[in-house]
Amino acid sequence: MPTTSRLFVRASFLYLSLGAIIGALLLINRWIPLGSAVLALRASHIEFLIAGWLIQLILGVAWWLFPPMALRPRPGSSTPIRRGQAQRGSEPLFWTTFAFLNAGVLLQAVFAPLYTWTNVRAFNLLASISGLFLLVAAITFVINMWGRVRELGRRT
Amino acid sequence: MPSIARTFVKAAFVYFVVAFVLGALMMLERWLNFSRWLRVVYLSQLHLLVVGWITQLAIGVAYWIFPRFRKEQTPEPRGSDTLAWAVLIALNMGLLLRFLFEPFYLTGPQPWLAALLALSGVLQALAALGFAWLIWGRIRPMES
Repeated sequence: MPTTSRLFVRASFLYLSLGAIIGALLLINRWIPLGSAVLALRASHIEFLIAGWLIQLILGVAWWLFPPMALRPRPGSSTPIRRGQAQRGSEPLFWTTFAFLNAGVLLQAVFAPLYTWTNVRAFNLLASISGLFLLVAAITFVINMWGRVRELGRRT
Repeated sequence: MPSIARTFVKAAFVYFVVAFVLGALMMLERWLNFSRWLRVVYLSQLHLLVVGWITQLAIGVAYWIFPRFRKEQTPEPRGSDTLAWAVLIALNMGLLLRFLFEPFYLTGPQPWLAALLALSGVLQALAALGFAWLIWGRIRPMES
């Protein structure tokens, strides 16, 4: 598994653990009241489990397992343009996806409950822009992976 | 595919079908009004899909395909079988407790029902932590 995928997958398991712990707190709160503030953590629970866990795991595993990009020889040469890890696509772009995805998850998971607790408008703004971060993550990922959605074994 | 992974994946398929049956009944109920119970089952249905189907499938496939430990390192190349079975049992017991009792809690909250739901949350959280613990060492390069 390449380093890039490893980071995605490790982050996804951290979010799974966090999301499940918050879910347990939300259910415990129905039995032993922990305070109304706990209810605001529902936004973090959903964000951690959908975007942080499931989506991040899928992106990390897809980067690892999808067919590598086609080997194209350089014009006038027999050596290919891409070799090894470069055949997975652009690593900097994949790190960009990682940064935006996790920024989006954390913005929503941290600032949505903070806004509920404090009513500070800046927190609402920060939570609101989380969707734009996730959008950038989605677009960069699709651009990077598009060429790898192909028949396995074709070399050109 | 090892037997633990097969059990995870088959359980995931069962939840997938059950959740879609419930989903279809919930849609029909809006039209035919045949069961009030179906109006309070939506949270359980959502968790059947997200935890029972998608998460459980992801866990089963990860357990199957992630790089294994070398045989010199451990006799159990996918990590502790006991922990993997414990994760499977905790996840499914937690999910079923919630599925069976949450609709009754939502129609008439009782402390014992709330206690069972709290237990279901704790079981699912323990399953998540247990699986993260189990798989962490296998998130590594294939060749090493």
